[in-house]
Amino acid sequence: MKERIKEVCIGGSKRFTQGSCFKEALTMKRVSLVLLGLLLITGLVVTASEAGKLLIWADDTRTPIMLKVAKDFTAAYGVEVVVQELDFGGMRGQLATAGPAGEGPDILIGAHDWLGELILNGLIEPVILTPAIIADFNPVAIDAFSWGNLLYGVPYATENVALVRNTDLVPEAPTTFEELLTVAAALTDLDAGEYGFLIQEPDPFHTFALHTAGGGYIFGKDADGVLDPCDLGLDNAGSIAGAILLDQMVKDGIEIAGAGYNEVTGAFNSGKLGMMIGGPWTLPGAKAEGINYAISAIPPINGNAPGVFVGVQGFMISAFSDNKVLANLFIKDFLISTDVMLGLYIEGDRPPAYLPALAFLAGNEDIQGFAAAAATAVPMPKIAEMNSVWSSWSNALELIVNQTQDPTTAMQDAAAEIRALLGCD
Amino acid sequence: MIWRYIAKHVAKVVLLGTLIGVSIYVTFVLLTKGMYVPAAMPLIGSVSIAYIFLTEKRYPLRWLVPGLIFLIVMVVYPIGYTVVSSFTNVGTGHMLAKDQAIDQLLDRSFAPADALSYTFTVFAKNANNDLALLLESGEERILYLHGEATAVAVDDPRLIDDDGDGEPDRFTDFARLSIPQIVPMLSTLETYRIEFESKTIGLESLTEFRTRTPTYVYDADAETMIDQQTGIVYTALEGIFTDQNGEEIYPGYKVKVGIRNYINLLTNPRIAGPFAMVFLWTFAFAFLTVLLNFGLGLSTAILLNDPYLRFRTLYRVVMIIPYAIPAFVTILVWRGMLNQHFGIINKMIVSSARMIDSAVNYIAVHGFNTTAVLFGDVSKIGWLADGTLAKISVLLVNLWLGYPYMMLICLGALQSIPKSLYEAARVDGASWWQQFRNITLPLLLMPLAPLLVGAFAFNFNNFTLIWLLTEGRPAIAGATTPAGQTDILLSYTYRLAFEGARGNQLGLAAAVATVIFVIIATISAINFRMTGALEELSKNV
Repeated sequence: MKERIKEVCIGGSKRFTQGSCFKEALTMKRVSLVLLGLLLITGLVVTASEAGKLLIWADDTRTPIMLKVAKDFTAAYGVEVVVQELDFGGMRGQLATAGPAGEGPDILIGAHDWLGELILNGLIEPVILTPAIIADFNPVAIDAFSWGNLLYGVPYATENVALVRNTDLVPEAPTTFEELLTVAAALTDLDAGEYGFLIQEPDPFHTFALHTAGGGYIFGKDADGVLDPCDLGLDNAGSIAGAILLDQMVKDGIEIAGAGYNEVTGAFNSGKLGMMIGGPWTLPGAKAEGINYAISAIPPINGNAPGVFVGVQGFMISAFSDNKVLANLFIKDFLISTDVMLGLYIEGDRPPAYLPALAFLAGNEDIQGFAAAAATAVPMPKIAEMNSVWSSWSNALELIVNQTQDPTTAMQDAAAEIRALLGCD
Repeated sequence: MIWRYIAKHVAKVVLLGTLIGVSIYVTFVLLTKGMYVPAAMPLIGSVSIAYIFLTEKRYPLRWLVPGLIFLIVMVVYPIGYTVVSSFTNVGTGHMLAKDQAIDQLLDRSFAPADALSYTFTVFAKNANNDLALLLESGEERILYLHGEATAVAVDDPRLIDDDGDGEPDRFTDFARLSIPQIVPMLSTLETYRIEFESKTIGLESLTEFRTRTPTYVYDADAETMIDQQTGIVYTALEGIFTDQNGEEIYPGYKVKVGIRNYINLLTNPRIAGPFAMVFLWTFAFAFLTVLLNFGLGLSTAILLNDPYLRFRTLYRVVMIIPYAIPAFVTILVWRGMLNQHFGIINKMIVSSARMIDSAVNYIAVHGFNTTAVLFGDVSKIGWLADGTLAKISVLLVNLWLGYPYMMLICLGALQSIPKSLYEAARVDGASWWQQFRNITLPLLLMPLAPLLVGAFAFNFNNFTLIWLLTEGRPAIAGATTPAGQTDILLSYTYRLAFEGARGNQLGLAAAVATVIFVIIATISAINFRMTGALEELSKNV
C-alpha cells in the first residue's frame, strides 16, 4: 500500500520535489484523501535522495549538530544538505524499505552492530579512508565498522557500560567484585526501598561482564579471525559461572526481579541505589537530579577483569545514494574534524572515537571512567546471527532472576535454543 | 438554476478529466519503469470513478466509493501483499529485487595492479549544463565532451592558458571550474562512465578519476556471476549467488519459494515447538477477555441503568475514564504498578499485611497472652514474573482497559429494550433473574453478538497489550524456541520473524500472518453463523 502511493507520487517524476508532486496528487480528488490519510498514519513525509543534494538521516540527539555542520557545508560548496530526523531504533527498517525504492538517504548515522544486517541486505557502501586518517581513530571503533577488509562507516563515538556509583553512598570504588558485593549487601534494605548494587535485568548487554570474567563469550573466532556463529560460548564454564554469580546475588537479596532500565535508573536518580552497571546514557538523568556520581571499571571477579560490550556509532553511506562521491567528501572532509567530533560529544555525551577530539577531553572524569571500563572491551558482535542471541539469553537471565530455573540449566537451554535457531546443532 | 446545473457539470467534467489525465500520466511513467501491474491500477481506478460519477444508475455507489477505496488500499491490498510475500523468501539478505541485486554486484569494481589514476579538470558553459572534462594520467590526456572520449595533445589549440601558468583556463568557450564549483557537479560526474581504449573510467573522488574493472561479470543465461579477480563462478541458488563451497555473495534477492514457509511452520520442530501452547493461550486470552469484559461491562451497565441509583451520571463519567486514556499509557502505568519490587501494588500488600499482623499481635499479646501471626513475612508477589500470575495480570489489565467499552454498548442496548416487556414479566410474577435470563440477555445479545465477535478477533491479535505489559514474558523454561508464558500468536511470531535466525524472516512472518488471518476469518464466520447475528441484523435493517 505504502509502496503503491510512493510510486504514484515519486514515480511521477524524479524532477518533482515532494511538494509539487503532492500538489499534483491533490487534484486526484478521492485519491488525495487516501494520501492524506496515509500521511496522517505514517506521520512522516519521506524525502527522497536527489542528485546534487545530500540527505542525512539522524536521530534526535544527532540532528541539531548535523544541522549546524550542514549549514557550514552549504556555505562552503553551495550544496544543499537536508537532515531528516528519524527514530534511532526504526532507522534500519526504514532504510530497508526506502533505500531500494530510491527514497533513502545518502548518509545515515547508526550503530556498528547494524552492519551485518545492512550489508547482507546490500544497503550500505564501503568507505575508503587513508591509513593516516584511520590512525586518528580508536582502533576498537575502526574494528567495529570493518567487515572483512573493508570499512563500512566512519565511527564517531564509542559507548560501553561501567560501574556507576553514588559517591555519597559509596565514596570509594570497590577494588574487587567481592568487595563490591559486601558494600552492596550493607547498603541493601529492600523494605526501605534501598539498594546497594543493581544490574538491569533481564538484559544481556548489562550482564555480559559477569559472564566474560570467567572466560565466557558469545561467538568465537575462526582461524581467519571472523566470528563463527556456530562456536557459541554462552554455555561454557565461564558463562555459567557468571550466571551462578547472578543467581547468588539474587539469593543474597542484592539483585532483585523486575529491575528494568526505568527501575534501576529511577532508584539511582533518587539516591536510593549505591551502584549500578550503566552507560553514558544514564548520566543526564543523574546530573539532572543532582546525584554525585563517579564512574569506574567493573572490578575484577575472582581476580579476572570482566569485559564489557562496546557499541560504536558512526556515519554510513547508503548503497542507493546518487551522491556517493559527494557523501564521501562530506564525511571525510567535513565530519572528520575535531570541532565536529567535539560538537557530537556535547550533544550525545559519548566518548569520541576520533582521537584528537578525545585528547581534548583528557580531563573529563566521566570519559576516563568509561575508558577504564573499556580497557577489556569487545565490540558487540555485528553479524546478523546476533539477532538470535538476545531473546534466548534474556530469557535465561529472566529465569535466573525470577528463580524459576537453576543458572546452569538456564544457560544450557538458551545455548541449545540459539544453536537450533542458527542451524548449528 | 440552469447556471448552477451547468457549473456543477462543468466542475464534474473538469475534475474527472484532471483525474483521468493525471492517472494516464502516472500510468505512462510506471510503464516506462516496467511496473506493469502498478501501472494498471491508477487507470482502472480513475476509469471506474469516472464511470460511477457519470452514470445516474450508479448513483448510490458514489457514497460508497470513498469507503471502498479505503477498504481496498488499507485492507485488501495489505492482505494480498502479505499472502504474496508468504510465498517468497523475503527477509534479511533477500530484501532486493533480482535486478537491483545484480545491478549492485555489477557496480562493484576492484583496482588491478595496472589501474590508472587520473587528475581531472572540468570546463563548463551554459550555466554548468554543458561540461567538458580533461583527464590526465602521466602522458595520457583524454578529453571527454558530449559522451565522446578522445585523446588530446598538450598543445591542443582548444585548450587556452590565459595566465600562462601551464594550466589551461578555458576549453574553447568553456570556462574552467574551481574546486568549490566542482563540488555541486560531483553527482553528475559520478554518473559518467568514460570508455577510452578499452578502459572504463569513473569518478573516484573530488580530485580523481580512476579506471574501473568490474569485480563480477554476469551471465544472464546461466544465471552466474563470475569473479574477475579469482575466476570463481557463483551460481544463483534460491536468491543468492553461491559458489561450489557454499560461499555466498551478498546482497541476495527475493525469489518465490512456493509453500516452503507453510511447511516450515507446520513441520519444523524449532518453529512448531511451543506453537500449541501459545495457540491455546491465545484462544484462552481472547475468549476470557471477552467473557470478563462483557460480564463486568454488562453488570455495571445494569447497575447504572437503575433509575433509583443516585449520582448515575457521575459514576458513568468515572467509569469511562479507563477507556478515555490512551491504552499504551495505561498499560505502561500498570506495568510499573505490578513490578515485583518497585510496584505500588506489592508495596501496599506488604505494608497492609504487616499492619494487620501487628494489630493481630497486639490483640493477641494483650488478650490471650500468645503471639499470633496471620500473614507472616509476606513475600512480594511476582505479578509479572510468575507464569500463571502474569496471565492473570494480563487479563486484569485488559479488563480495566476493555470493560468501559462493553459498558457503553450495553448501556445503549439496554435502553432500547422496551420497558413494557419488564412490566409484563413482573405482572406474570417473573423473578429478577428470570427477567434477566429471558428478556435482557437475549435482547442484548442479538445486537451485541457481532461486536463480541469483533472484540474476540481484536484481542486475538492484541499485540500492543502483550508487548507493552509483559513482552510475552516470563520465559517458558526449556522451550525449543524463545517463547514466553504470555506470548500470543502475534507476539510469538513477531519474535520468530524478527529476533530469530540471522535477521528478519519476513516471508515466514507473512505465512504466519496469513494463517492467523484464516483462523480469525473462520472463527468469525462460524460465530456469525451460529449466533445468526447477520441474519438478525439484516432483519432489523
